[in-house]
Amino acid sequence: MSEPTPTHSPRSAAAAVAPFSLVRIWTIATGTVTQLVRMKSFYFLLAFAVVIVAIGNINIPSTPAKELAMLKKVSFGTMDLFAWLFAIVSTALLIPRDQEDRTLYTILAKPVRRIEYLLGKLGGVLIVIATSLALMFALCAALLYARETIYVAEEFTAMQADGRYSPEDIDSQIGLIRAQGLQPGLLVAVLASFLKATVVAAVTIFFSTFASSSLFTIIVSVLVFLIGHAHSLATNFWLAESKHNAFVEIVVKVVKILIPNFQLFSFSEGIVLGEKIVPALVWQMGGLTGGYVVVFLLLSLLVFVDKEF
Amino acid sequence: MNERAVEVENLTKVFSIGLGKKYVVAVDNLSFHVEAGEVYGLIGPNGSGKSTTMKVVLGLMAASKGSAKVFGLDSGNIRARNEIGFLPENPYFYKHLSGTETLRFYGKLCGLSGRGLKNRIEELLDLVGLTEAASRRLAGYSKGMLQRIGLAQSLIQNPRLIILDEPTAGVDPVGSRQIRDLILKLRDEGYTIFLCSHLLEQVQEVCDRVGIIFQGRMRREGTLAELVAIEDQTSLTLQGASPELLAEIAALVKKHPEAALLDMGHPHTTLEKLFISLAGRHEAETSPEAKTPLAHE
Repeated sequence: MSEPTPTHSPRSAAAAVAPFSLVRIWTIATGTVTQLVRMKSFYFLLAFAVVIVAIGNINIPSTPAKELAMLKKVSFGTMDLFAWLFAIVSTALLIPRDQEDRTLYTILAKPVRRIEYLLGKLGGVLIVIATSLALMFALCAALLYARETIYVAEEFTAMQADGRYSPEDIDSQIGLIRAQGLQPGLLVAVLASFLKATVVAAVTIFFSTFASSSLFTIIVSVLVFLIGHAHSLATNFWLAESKHNAFVEIVVKVVKILIPNFQLFSFSEGIVLGEKIVPALVWQMGGLTGGYVVVFLLLSLLVFVDKEF
Repeated sequence: MNERAVEVENLTKVFSIGLGKKYVVAVDNLSFHVEAGEVYGLIGPNGSGKSTTMKVVLGLMAASKGSAKVFGLDSGNIRARNEIGFLPENPYFYKHLSGTETLRFYGKLCGLSGRGLKNRIEELLDLVGLTEAASRRLAGYSKGMLQRIGLAQSLIQNPRLIILDEPTAGVDPVGSRQIRDLILKLRDEGYTIFLCSHLLEQVQEVCDRVGIIFQGRMRREGTLAELVAIEDQTSLTLQGASPELLAEIAALVKKHPEAALLDMGHPHTTLEKLFISLAGRHEAETSPEAKTPLAHE
C-alpha cells in the first residue's frame, strides 16, 4: 500500500512539560472551589447561622457562664458536624461526577498526573471547609462576644447595685463569665474540627476512587466515620468480653489499622468547655492528620493510577 | 520520511467482565499509524473498538499487549499528552464555568498563564465563533456550541495532534457543517487529526487516509482513492471520442491517435457504500445462520 504524502506542513513540537506541577494542582483545587461555590454549597452556612441565632435567643433559667458554655457547646458541635458532613458529601460527589460527565477524560487527556488530580480535588474541598469554618467561627465569635459583653455588664451592674459584694467578688464573678466567653483557645477547637474533616475527606477520596456511585461512597464514609468514633471503646469492650481471644485481637488490630480513630480528634470538646490546651497535643494531632492523609492518598493512588476510564 | 504522529503496533485490549472472569477482546492485534500533518479517519460500527483504541492512544487505558506511541513517546507518558488535544464524544465540561473560564482552566493545566493564555483564549474563541458567548455559562450552550468550545479546549496548548471522537454526534446539520469546516481549517494549518466517526460522508470529506475496523481488527486501510476504487472494473475517460469510437473502444483505442486517453483507472464508489458492503459481508460471515446449517422448509 502506498504511503500518502501529507499536503500540509506539520507543526512544531509542543513546549516541555513539568513532570510534577503545583500549578496544575492549584488549578484543579481552585476549579473545585469554584465548582462547590457555584453548587451553592455555602447555603449550609445559613442553616448554621439559624441554629446559633436560635440557641442565642433561648432564655433558660441559668447562670450567664452556663448559658455561654451551652452556646459554645452547641455552636462548636454544629460547626464540627457541618465540617465532617460537608467533607464526606462534597468529596463523594466530585470524582464520580467528573467520571460520569466525562470531564475527567478531558482533564486526564491533558498533561495532568492522576496524583495531581487527586491532590487538587482534596485541596479544593479543604479550602472550602477551611473557609466555611472561618466564616462559622466568625459568626459564632461575634454572637459569643456580644452575649459575653451583655452578661458582664448586667452582672457588674447588678452586683454593684446590690452593695454586698467586694470588688474582688465582682472580679471573680466576671472572670467566671469571661472564662466561658470568647477565648483564643477556641481557635484550636476550630483547628481540631478542620483536622478531623481533612482526614474524613482523605478517607472519602479513597472510597470514591473505586466506588460505583456517590451514594455508596457517602454511606460507607459515614459508617467508617461512626466506627472510627467508637472503635476505641468498642475494641476495649470486645477484648474484655472475649478474654483477649487471639482471633478477636487480630480483628481489633485490623480495624485499628484500617479505620482512623476519630475519637482522638474530639479534643475540641474539652477546649470548648474551657480546658487548658497542651501545645504538644496540637502538634501531635497535626502529625497524625498528615499521616492519615498520606496513607489514604497513597491507597487512593494505588486504585486510581491504573483505573481505566 | 515524515514523522509519525501516532503509531499503534499489535495493540490488543482485553476486558474482564464480572466476577465470572469472562473476557472480551475489544481490540485484537491492531496496527496502524498516522503521519504527521495528515487527517486519519478510523471508522467502524458501535463496539468495534474505536473508542478503546483512542483511549489507549490518549493514555486513559493501558494496552493488554502491543504499544501505542504519540510522536515517538509512549502514550502513557505525560509529555505525549502535551502533544494531544482531545475532544470526546458528547463532551460535558463543567457547566458552571463560562466559555472563557473553561479555556482558562484547561490552559492553566497545560502550563499557560498571563497574557499568552489570554491571547490564546481570544484567538480560539474567535476561531470557533464563540466570542459573543464567551462569558455565558456552558449550561446555556447548545450541543453545537459545546462541541465547538470542546474543540477550542482541545487546541488550547497548541498540540500537534488532535483526536476527535465523533465530533458531530448529535449536532444539527448546520452545526455539523461548521465543525467540518473547522476540521478542514485545522488541517490547512498543519494539525494532525485522528478522527473517529461513523458519519462516513464526513470522513470522506475530510480524511486523507481511512482505516475500517470491525470487532477490534483492521479490515481495510488506505487513502480514500485506494479504498473507494472498485478493483474488478476499469473506467476510461476520453476526450473528443466519437460515438463510433465508443462502440469499438476496447479494440480501437490504441489504433486511433486522435483520441487521447486522459485517465484510466477504477470507477469510484462512495466510502458509505464500501462500509455497508463490508459490514454486510462481515455480518453474513459471523451470523449463526452462516455457521449452523438450518433445516429449510
